[in-house]
Amino acid sequence: MKKKVVATLLTAAMTMSMLAGCGSSDDSAPAATPAADNAPAEQEAAQEPASADDSEAAAETSGEAVTIKLFSNLPDRKNGQGLVEQKIIDEYMAENTNVTIEVEALDEEAYKTKFKAYAMDGMPDVVSIWGQPAFLDEVLDAGVLAELNEEDYLDYGFIAGSLEGFKKDDKLYGLPRNTDIMLFYYNQKMFEDNGWKVPATTDELLTLCADIQAAGLTPVAMDGGDGWPMACFLTDILVKVSGTSYADIISNAIATGDFTAPEIKQATQILVDFANAGMFQVGYDSQDYGTTMNLFTNGQAAMYCMGSWDASMALNEDIAPEIRDNIRAFTMPVVNGGKGGANDIAAWNGGGYAVSANSAVKEEAIKFLNYMYQPDKLSKYGWENGVGMSAQDQTAYLTGSETELQKQIMDILKNATSVSGTPINDCGPSAFKTAIESEIQGVSNGSTSVDDFLAAIGTACK
Amino acid sequence: MKKLYSNKPVIFSLVLPGLLVFLFAVLAPICLSVYYGFMDYSGMGKATPIGFDNYVNLFHDSAFGRSLRNSLLLAVGFICIQHPLAILVAAVLDKLQGKAEGIFRCIYFIPNVISVAVIAYLWKFIYNPDFGLLNNIAKAFGHPGKINWLSQQNAIWSVLIVLIWHGFGWGMLIYYTGIKNIDPVLYEAASIDGANWWTTFFRITLPLMKPVIQINVTMAVISALKQMETVYLLTNGGPNNSTQFAANYLYQQAFKAFKYGYGNAIGVVFIIICVLATVALNTIFRDKQEA
Amino acid sequence: MKENDRKIGKIILWIVLVMVAVIQLFPLIWLVDFSLGSSNEMFTNGLLIIPKKIRWDNYVKAFVDGNFLHYLKNSFLINTLAVILVVIISIMAAFACQRMKWKLSGLVSTLLVMGMMIPIHATLLPNYKIYSNFHLTDTIWALLIPYVAFSLPQGMFLMTGFIQSLPKELEEAAVMDGCGIYRIVFQIVTPLLKPSISTVAIMTFLNNWNEFMMASTYLSTPKWKTLPFSVLEFTGEYSSNYAVQFAVMALTAAPAVIVYVLLNKHITKGVAMGAVKG
Repeated sequence: MKKKVVATLLTAAMTMSMLAGCGSSDDSAPAATPAADNAPAEQEAAQEPASADDSEAAAETSGEAVTIKLFSNLPDRKNGQGLVEQKIIDEYMAENTNVTIEVEALDEEAYKTKFKAYAMDGMPDVVSIWGQPAFLDEVLDAGVLAELNEEDYLDYGFIAGSLEGFKKDDKLYGLPRNTDIMLFYYNQKMFEDNGWKVPATTDELLTLCADIQAAGLTPVAMDGGDGWPMACFLTDILVKVSGTSYADIISNAIATGDFTAPEIKQATQILVDFANAGMFQVGYDSQDYGTTMNLFTNGQAAMYCMGSWDASMALNEDIAPEIRDNIRAFTMPVVNGGKGGANDIAAWNGGGYAVSANSAVKEEAIKFLNYMYQPDKLSKYGWENGVGMSAQDQTAYLTGSETELQKQIMDILKNATSVSGTPINDCGPSAFKTAIESEIQGVSNGSTSVDDFLAAIGTACK
Repeated sequence: MKKLYSNKPVIFSLVLPGLLVFLFAVLAPICLSVYYGFMDYSGMGKATPIGFDNYVNLFHDSAFGRSLRNSLLLAVGFICIQHPLAILVAAVLDKLQGKAEGIFRCIYFIPNVISVAVIAYLWKFIYNPDFGLLNNIAKAFGHPGKINWLSQQNAIWSVLIVLIWHGFGWGMLIYYTGIKNIDPVLYEAASIDGANWWTTFFRITLPLMKPVIQINVTMAVISALKQMETVYLLTNGGPNNSTQFAANYLYQQAFKAFKYGYGNAIGVVFIIICVLATVALNTIFRDKQEA
Repeated sequence: MKENDRKIGKIILWIVLVMVAVIQLFPLIWLVDFSLGSSNEMFTNGLLIIPKKIRWDNYVKAFVDGNFLHYLKNSFLINTLAVILVVIISIMAAFACQRMKWKLSGLVSTLLVMGMMIPIHATLLPNYKIYSNFHLTDTIWALLIPYVAFSLPQGMFLMTGFIQSLPKELEEAAVMDGCGIYRIVFQIVTPLLKPSISTVAIMTFLNNWNEFMMASTYLSTPKWKTLPFSVLEFTGEYSSNYAVQFAVMALTAAPAVIVYVLLNKHITKGVAMGAVKG
């Protein structure tokens, strides 16, 4: 019964958010709006939250009118993480009628650019951040993010170590949203129909790619237009090459500006070999996120390389059911002679939220932040919407009705013998990040040699 | 009259709004750029003066050199491809009489009124190797594989094509107006002398169009230098800076790499180059006219 | 014989013109065509598709979720204001510099026109700092100021030329009648400048209507965002639905194209006049 109530509440929030998205300001008569196609659920919903929230609402509406500006990297508000975020926002506004939350959402790349512009002169109150040096170091040095009290979050169930990336001098400045794992998504049905097998080694992967090409399909859809997914991919290879010494090798290289370590060289060479073998789609180095993902979700590519946050593909209504129901995942296969085993995976706590230090409504913003991170909000809703793994303990929310994909990802994380931490491009200063994300395009498409590539990213560290 | 026309307060009041706009929106940012160009400044926190270091680094920055080369290439492309085409089509269009003339002129100009945002995204789709229009056309002509129009080698040419396509109507229209302004008596005289279309075109049309061509060439060079929006949306300077342009590069350096000071130094050099190019072209053309 | 030559010439002429027209238009036809299908119909080998079912709902989505009317209103408002300001300021300044007698007239005129040489995007970084310090970011001023500033040099240049070509006699007569300068500028000279004003207005409109770089840098909330934003926002929001993305592109392009086709004679004339002079 309880579950049903929650579900209804969710539907209510969703419907409301959809209506809000449609620009209808007339919230007194949602049923009259033609955009709502699930009328019964909505009518039910329209009554329920009213009674459920009465007491709470009455207690909190007395506050002054507050507007919190939220700047988000999730422009798609109807699927996956964006939907979860919007749902929590709508619930919060329903419970605190004096609070209005205005969302500005941009694509990842555009987001990061604009975030930096904001960081220079006045930020929105709540922002998406990444707990990684390339993104956070300069921002924290400039003191634009508000310090959070770590004690407050003891019972929020954050996974051990997941807060580390968001700290500076032992002070906490942000909270992680996800545990991200680099994955190969693949189309299981396509694999079965063609007798393809999930590869256990990179050699097998190469053979598999040749087979897929022979069938006239793109083996792996790779978002190479934005440099970062390919850098994460390189991280993944490097983890298989160097095993648990990955973090040391990278931090060493970044400190000295010398990237000629044999492991880095070998990993880069493998990436180049992959690209040379035609593993990625034609024009991968100029295509963006959406185009790449669509190649996979439209059945043009057999695999798709991206982080676990895209697991919500399995629930995305825009994707044809015969594809979305068949999406499965595996991690980077092992490299011959590499030190990393099958269960040494590339994973990190990357994305999250923070509050602006100069926010005029700092208290309210932190209150909202804490609300979002209540274990039964971000973490739970994320899980229910198939958005990979959160950075909090999710065991309480296992429903048994998870998608196959979610179960797989859960197992991958459960079986992991080691996790890599921050991907290579995010380990250095932002000038390094800019350099490697551009240079990696050149090295993978063969217009820069591996040595030149390593030298160029080394220079950017100095 | 003279007294009225030299009334200082009135003059001042007439010029003031213009001057204010100029000071606040053009001069002030330039001065600020010059100032920050001498700073090591991430855009946040403290700025440290570092003298000419930014400019020295800029001199060694291959991506910046690349963006200037790209501008040059673009200018050459405009001058050698777009403009000859535009003049020819304008001359042909001039021969056409009646309604058709207006209709064609209208069609040619349509891409020009469409937002760069739409144009850039549209061409991104047109160039897509998996379902793009160009690839399907290539297939229709029997090309088997997928062509990577935006690869590191091809991308700059693909950008050029988009810009030529987008700006074609503008160039054509200006040449067309230039041709219309040519005294028809000259053509009549030529046709009495038995000159054919080509001779007329090369002997009369082209020479008389010289001033218009000069203006258009100047504009082509300047717009090649100033190029930003199409590239920002179509390739964002990639792959690996192969389609980088100065304006896009300074934006990236400041707002992506947190090198606001360096970005401003690029801006200063960029402004100087634009001003020099304009002045140089004007001087060259003026000298020629006088000679 | 000669008759035949002329015929062949005419045919070639038509072929050339039609070919160029096809090249200029086909991408747009392609855009509209695919915007009426569904996303998975994109993966075809044909040049155009006949949608299985014409999906007008793509346009409904684009219209509603793309905030089309709101952005259109903003675009229209900001551009109209920019045009009015540019016209008024440039007439005033051009008149003062061209007609009136003062020492610095040449210098001021050169300064104002010099803006033409400054690449607008070089001011993105410093202007961002300036506007945030004056709390102008995310207000209409953040767009209006640079739009006016960077259209003003051209307006000033054109107006100076036009005013120069006006006969002085009218003004002299007006002075005799005891008119003040302001009345001369706004009641005598301005009406005479009608064709020039439309040229300046058209050039300014064309320059700024499609601008988005500054809009995306200086604005954050949808309050003042302009039409090109529909496209930018949509590609993120509907990244997995190509057809709707196409619809929003077609929709965004539509107002300018429709206005252009309707007014094409005037616009062509205005552009030609402005460009040849400039």
